[in-house]
Amino acid sequence: MKKLITKIEGEATLNIIGDEIIEWVDIEFHQFRGIENYLIDKHYMDALVINPRICGICGHSHLIATAQAIENAFGAIITNKAKLIRELTLNFEIIENHIKWFYITLFPTQIKDKKYLFKALQASQKISQAIALIAGQYPHNSYAIPGGITSDITYLELTKVKNIIYQLLEFKQELWSDFELFFTKIPKNIGKSNNRFLTKNLDISKIKEISNNPYQKVTYNGLYYETGPLSRMKEYIKEIYQKYQDSIYSRIYARVYEIFYLLNKNLEIISKIDLSENSYIKPNITSNKGYSIIEAPRGVLIHEIEILNEKIKYYNIIVPTQFNLSTGSKDNPSAAQQALLNENKKYLDTIFKCFDICAVCIGH
Amino acid sequence: MPLKPKVIWIDAIGCNGCSHSFFNLPYLSTLLEKIELLYHPLLDSNEFKIQECDILIVEGAIKNTKKFDSNLIDIIESLFINAKKVIGLGSCASFGGMFGEGLIFNKENYGKFYTCKNKVINLPGCPIHPEWLGYTLEMLIENKPIILDDENRPKEIYSFVSHSGCVRNEYFDWKVDAEDFGTKEGCLFYLQGCQGPFTHSTCNKILWNDVNSKPRAGTPCFGCTERNFPKINLFKTDTMMGIPSKIPLGVTKRAYLTLAGIAKSLTNERLEKRLFEYEKTNNKN
Amino acid sequence: MKEEKKEVIMRTALSLFAKKGFYSTTIADIAKEMGMSVGNMYNYFASKEALAKELLIYTSRRFGQEIRKINEQNISSKEKIEKIIDLYFNMATNEPELVDYFMRVYLSNKEIFSNGCEGMLCVSAFVTEIMIFFEEGVRKKELKNQDFFVAFGLFMGYIGGIVFLNNDGVLPKPLKEYTKDVSENIYNALKA
Repeated sequence: MKKLITKIEGEATLNIIGDEIIEWVDIEFHQFRGIENYLIDKHYMDALVINPRICGICGHSHLIATAQAIENAFGAIITNKAKLIRELTLNFEIIENHIKWFYITLFPTQIKDKKYLFKALQASQKISQAIALIAGQYPHNSYAIPGGITSDITYLELTKVKNIIYQLLEFKQELWSDFELFFTKIPKNIGKSNNRFLTKNLDISKIKEISNNPYQKVTYNGLYYETGPLSRMKEYIKEIYQKYQDSIYSRIYARVYEIFYLLNKNLEIISKIDLSENSYIKPNITSNKGYSIIEAPRGVLIHEIEILNEKIKYYNIIVPTQFNLSTGSKDNPSAAQQALLNENKKYLDTIFKCFDICAVCIGH
Repeated sequence: MPLKPKVIWIDAIGCNGCSHSFFNLPYLSTLLEKIELLYHPLLDSNEFKIQECDILIVEGAIKNTKKFDSNLIDIIESLFINAKKVIGLGSCASFGGMFGEGLIFNKENYGKFYTCKNKVINLPGCPIHPEWLGYTLEMLIENKPIILDDENRPKEIYSFVSHSGCVRNEYFDWKVDAEDFGTKEGCLFYLQGCQGPFTHSTCNKILWNDVNSKPRAGTPCFGCTERNFPKINLFKTDTMMGIPSKIPLGVTKRAYLTLAGIAKSLTNERLEKRLFEYEKTNNKN
Repeated sequence: MKEEKKEVIMRTALSLFAKKGFYSTTIADIAKEMGMSVGNMYNYFASKEALAKELLIYTSRRFGQEIRKINEQNISSKEKIEKIIDLYFNMATNEPELVDYFMRVYLSNKEIFSNGCEGMLCVSAFVTEIMIFFEEGVRKKELKNQDFFVAFGLFMGYIGGIVFLNNDGVLPKPLKEYTKDVSENIYNALKA
């Protein structure tokens, strides 16, 4: 049977085989925009404006990935200040994404109450403000450029950003209570997957893209891997992971954990920023190839660029949703497929959404 | 408009940036109480179905592609016909943007629904500022007339230019150009491609996220509320023999060049140097 | 009335500067030539420096007005170049003291003009028209897009140089007869 899943930054169609228990599932996405093609022959700087508009909730990650890919092509260096400030805003986007996903996408699969939406928005408005203090606006800024950042911030801005973090940390108890509440509605041990994880510390030569019209499936060493908060956080939540492996419980726990992990990380980063350094170092422009691998909210994000005479000759983007939501085969299922196999259909929506899917990203 | 208007918010081909920007509206919870949101692509709502509504919000560009179990254009058309008022939310729905066609305007010509343009309000921007939609919905709910310009944009928002209120205005006035990126000093108009002086928006009037704007943060304005967004070479100012090919609105070329020439010939000592410097620290931990 | 008198004083000053030289000419000389008292002269110009700056604005405005008329004609950039050079050579022939002032006094004595005529402050009427000419030429794709000063230097340096040679009495033909060839050279150098 076909089931349309919505509210995943777009939609997907699942082709399910099985009556009560899912015996097999294929995943189909519809919206495709052809951004990689759109970029060809554009000036490389234009990519910094175009790429954030791949996605309204993780566009900042695309911005950072673009700037880094171009820097890689030029062999350009940036100051430590620019590096830390970029990490700061990138972390904020991850935090905002997780809070929104938790309350707006995941919660309603089991608990429907408007008050949770407003809880999420209260927090996310503050985080957007923190990013805007540094990058000008959120969503859709282009403050990270090859060579560094355009902003020249002062301690006035950093003081405000720090205080936003303190306010958000006060939210910790409430969020964990809501997490516990969510798991009174569904079992914890469902949605176990391939138990194979990928972070940005990977060997790019082992990545393979396979056409699955209109988008690409992605394997690593020929197999499908899971990427995202669980891959990143499992070292820090060892007990949970040992008890529940890569079930839905661990997957969601990791995301909630990552929120406060990154908030604290950001406080650390702020203390290390040396404002006396330059924001920007003009790079030497050359014709060359480059790439970047970063951790976006949903997992590993890869950008590859080839620049010829300041124009984009080639651009390739691999988004985390491609890793997690590929349509594999019966003997080589993707992370999401494996998680759904042999589970009761009534948990379909929740298990599917615990991978935090971005349909607009996969439709780039 | 009834007391609690029925609103359908449909996503065409876009990035959802306008939805996420709208979520930053400080008074969102109060506003949502005043409408009946029949459908939204991200917020939990009833299943989508083609039905009548008072206000249709279209986010994203129109393209011939699959949507739900049907065709996107057919869905938009059915919703459009059955709506009293339509809002083209964002540059994609207003003018086509990067991904397709707009409702009533494209970059060069008219959109599919141009003949019904009287029921459309365009709110271009990439993304929109949340208050633009907040304002439009409140005005519609209260049956207040919205004055529109010839691209169906509310004049109360789009009569301003993003140049108004930029903290770098002094540098613009005295023609002290930022030589490169990364400084709070200097105007971004001549060397960095800033389109502020001829882009209709309120970015430096109502700040973004209540605190900032791109030019304040050193990024040039990309003209995202205008019909031709995005242009080619967004970080470069188009010049003809060194003279900017687009100048502030309402000024003749002769007048602008005369003023610019005079400003360039004189110096404002305060603006010629950095406002202050940090002491270089040697310990980097 | 005062403005008309001012203009007569300025024209008189110009011809004296051309004849005797800028530094040798005094306010008293100009007053004598005008049949005015020195005291009365100071009612119109506070000093010789003030007169010098106003003369600069005056000469720029004269040129600027004429070039503007050419700019506003609906003709090609190539034709406009010829008309501008024609204008300049005509002025150099019929009102040599005007061109002489610009080239010999202004360009060679910048220190007089450093306070109150910085940059293009006093020549803006003239330079603005050249900018408009260039910009429209590039917009219509008739002229090559390049750095303004490179094009400006080529244009003004070239025609200034020909006038200079003319004033030295070196040119065998009257200035007017060089208009066509000079225009063609400039057009070939600047065209798209």
